Amino acid sequence: MLVWFLPVFLVLLMIGLPVFFALLFAPGALLWLNGQERDLALLYRNLYNGMDSFPLMALPFFLLAGEIMNRGGITERLVQFSQAFMGHLRGGLAHVNILSSILFAGLSGSAVADTSALGSTLIPAMEKQGYTRRFAAAITAASSVIGPIIPPSGIMIIYAYVMGQSVAALFLAGIVPGILVGLGLMVMVRLMADRYDLPKAERIVERGAAIGPVEYWVSFVLLRLNLAGVFYLFALMLPEGMAVGGLAVYLAMLIPAHFLLMAWRRRADPDFRTVCKKAVAPLQTPIIILGGILLGVFTPTEAAAIAVLYALIISYGVLGVMKISDLADVLRRSAIASATVLLLVGAAVAFKTVVSLSHAPEILAEFILALSENPLILLFLINILLFIVGMFLDAGPAIIILGPILGPVFTSLGVDPVHFAIIMSVNLTVGLATPPMGLVLFVASSVSGEKVETISKAILPFLAVEVLVIFLITYFPAISLTVPRLAGFVN
Amino acid sequence: MGLIRAMLVPIEIWNDWALALGRWLALLALGLMVAVILAQVWFRYVLNNALPWPDEAARFLMLWMTGLAAPSGLRRGGFVAIDMLSEALPRRLADILILVLLFIAMIVLVMGVQLGWTHVNSGWLFASSSLRLPLDLVGGASVKIKLAWMYMSVFVGMVLLSIVNIELILRRILIIGGRAEGLKPLSPVELAEAE
Amino acid sequence: QEYTLRATANSNDQDEDYDGLVVFKDYVEKASNGAIEVELFIGTQLCANGTECLQGIADGSIDIFVTTSGGAAGIFPYVQVFDLPYLMRDDRIAEAVLTNGTFTRTLRDMALEDSNNAIRIMTVGNTGGWRNFANTQKRIATPSDLEGMKMRTVVADLPQELVKTLGASPTPIPWPELFTSLQTGVVEGTKNGVTDIMNMKFTDAGLQYLTLDGHAYMAAIWVMNNERFMSMPEDMRTVVVNGFKELQQATFASPKRKQISAYEAFTEAGGEIYVPTAEEMDAFSEAVTPVYDWFETNVDGGGEVLQALRDSVAAAEEEIDAEIAADIQ
Ligand code: NA
Ligand code: NA
Repeated sequence: MLVWFLPVFLVLLMIGLPVFFALLFAPGALLWLNGQERDLALLYRNLYNGMDSFPLMALPFFLLAGEIMNRGGITERLVQFSQAFMGHLRGGLAHVNILSSILFAGLSGSAVADTSALGSTLIPAMEKQGYTRRFAAAITAASSVIGPIIPPSGIMIIYAYVMGQSVAALFLAGIVPGILVGLGLMVMVRLMADRYDLPKAERIVERGAAIGPVEYWVSFVLLRLNLAGVFYLFALMLPEGMAVGGLAVYLAMLIPAHFLLMAWRRRADPDFRTVCKKAVAPLQTPIIILGGILLGVFTPTEAAAIAVLYALIISYGVLGVMKISDLADVLRRSAIASATVLLLVGAAVAFKTVVSLSHAPEILAEFILALSENPLILLFLINILLFIVGMFLDAGPAIIILGPILGPVFTSLGVDPVHFAIIMSVNLTVGLATPPMGLVLFVASSVSGEKVETISKAILPFLAVEVLVIFLITYFPAISLTVPRLAGFVN
Repeated sequence: MGLIRAMLVPIEIWNDWALALGRWLALLALGLMVAVILAQVWFRYVLNNALPWPDEAARFLMLWMTGLAAPSGLRRGGFVAIDMLSEALPRRLADILILVLLFIAMIVLVMGVQLGWTHVNSGWLFASSSLRLPLDLVGGASVKIKLAWMYMSVFVGMVLLSIVNIELILRRILIIGGRAEGLKPLSPVELAEAE
Repeated sequence: QEYTLRATANSNDQDEDYDGLVVFKDYVEKASNGAIEVELFIGTQLCANGTECLQGIADGSIDIFVTTSGGAAGIFPYVQVFDLPYLMRDDRIAEAVLTNGTFTRTLRDMALEDSNNAIRIMTVGNTGGWRNFANTQKRIATPSDLEGMKMRTVVADLPQELVKTLGASPTPIPWPELFTSLQTGVVEGTKNGVTDIMNMKFTDAGLQYLTLDGHAYMAAIWVMNNERFMSMPEDMRTVVVNGFKELQQATFASPKRKQISAYEAFTEAGGEIYVPTAEEMDAFSEAVTPVYDWFETNVDGGGEVLQALRDSVAAAEEEIDAEIAADIQ
């Protein structure tokens, strides 16, 4: 009887009941019909308990940090920086769109934020250069899914929370797959550039642009500190006996860093230098987040709070584009968005409780194992299932509902839990851009003014690339596991 | 229809004011959450003296932020739904479908209010593990905060969501009855997204 | 069957709690001749931590649950008495105190009163042996070795107070983040039993030094919804009570067996196990005395419970010392 909640849930979802209510109504109604009134209390309590979590708090914080940076003129700087590197290629602005998404992904955990921020800048620019609007909207939507694959990532925070995994390990595991999605899209753009004769663009949009003194000195200092950090890491990795460390060594590394940068300065074009300098402060964000987590300075939730602080410092102190009154607005928007997502997480946790009461996971696990016991075949099937689910359901709710059912089955078959987390997260993230129900498609449509159906057709070649990448990630665990393994987060 | 319109007026006024207040409190809660966590980092690394309370205090604020801000999300259409069917149906049929869905949501919310009230009451038994009301600063004894104060966040959220949902139902009835003219638009404010 | 008891434990099937539940289920179902069925939910499907699950017990949506002392601290702060260091010298004393039941009955009465007759403590067993100090930095032989060390604790005030008293810096970290926190140095040490340490493979995160100071008995407090229990006829209640006795014995035995391989794995992974000398243990006992005072003044019912435990321990020590004296002759 109780297992009927699943079909009821799906029907309610398809006729348009908001996911939050569907997650609660379907199991609730069946418990009530079943005479299990005491379990309704369980349902409610788990709704509450599902939201009452410290690791989950990284979600509103990263959201807030991303929103602040969005206001702070950072998007524009990242786009110009990307253009300085890739604009001159065939299909230049399409490449720029992808590279911007990769860079933006290091600051923001959301594909939707990526689409609306980059889309509003790049879609008009691409149209002006002769790209069709549907193509511009499609590449924006397709590349925005990189946002939650490269850390920080709201989806991975949810996955780690529901599955009891380490957020830090998932963050690290997402870096290479995210870049791989980007590279795959660039290859596709290159192929299309030949076929449709896509235009090149200028590398520098604005000749003779000035840089403010604060921004100049901040990037001056940050560049040297980071380059010295790279040298310092090499010094630490020297063979036994020669390796050196300590504050004095780091400070000493500032000298070669400075001279190397001065040497480069003489050879580089001044406008190119300005564009790069303007990108330094924003691109410091991922270094702070990941560096802080890796060096053990803070937990992911704390890293997220630090990211908010850094975003505030950059926006107010360095770039000076945000007004004090904007802050209340940014906080309000982030609070409302976080609240609706947290309610969804809570409802999904409550739903999961009834899933276990109904013994559905055992039944489903048995069913899956009856199909095959070969993990390679099962992973293939599961990817197809996830892809279909992703077409209709947002990544967050899908992870909370399916993760606890599928995760243990695959871990018991010997799939590394972090690897499986990445398979699931990437697949469902791509689902944000698949028709008919892709959140990102809707945002791309509202940003560009192009119809969802039109974008849905134009995005197909890019989705094909992303599916290919999903299978690469699935069958080559090293793609996701190498970075966390090198950092010692995976055994 | 006249009656419905008369019922709508006070609810509209309530939602305009109560939700605006809720949004202010929620944005303060979010700001405080960040501050509390930054304080934790500061105390641990700079002063080398970890505080026991920031973890729980930040969760307290997050739950209240959720309860107070989510109703604004519902009112402005920020709850994710698959609206393919209502888009495909003829206008009138779609309105009726939406009304039915609103009634289903109402059932969930009414149950939520009921169960939430029981939940809050059960919270008077349980004390927080690290949050205290520092009455010792004013000469009394410091008391542990009861979890009911945390539980209340979601209960209050359920109550506010219910009132919003009633407003949405009344509006939809007016639309179906052909009396949509003069309905104040509920600004579908563009929301930040987590995914 | 006439009664279905829904039991949950927030652990996995490798845990002592699960061993206890399996024994309980088997005994109760057989002894009641099938009148009672026990349904097991192992993990966090129904509720994810002590407070949540105890709520479920209180409102009757869960019948049986096992909590650690930290997990129950929100509603019954005095059960943290088990986290007070060095009150019971070894397993034999602890088991005698808990088997005898006088102390458990004191706890039960207090808990029934504080929960408006909703939560009934059925028995107290063990989960994971004893808590020891483990860290990534150096051997801990004396309290001064802990000076300034960032030590992970749960979010509860007593363990934090203990760590502070010993001069270390308490840092609350959620359990799933502990591995990476140890690895990256967010914390340098933790207080856990060896089975938990090896289940999480903390040795791979650099945890290397284990000092067997046994500063806390990892009590497993088994609770049941009181109304549910009292609604059964007396013969069925007897079966349940006996079932918990069986369960208790199983949870006493299980960690001892499991620890052997865990200790082996720990040394194999390059870990160092240090057993403090009698003088060093005295130094630890000396250093922690302020915690007892803190417990008595800051924890509701703390003084009463501490006295009750001390009385039971004294009685058990007397009895056991006499037995030992007789047995070694
Ligand atoms: Na990201
Ligand atoms: Na893009």
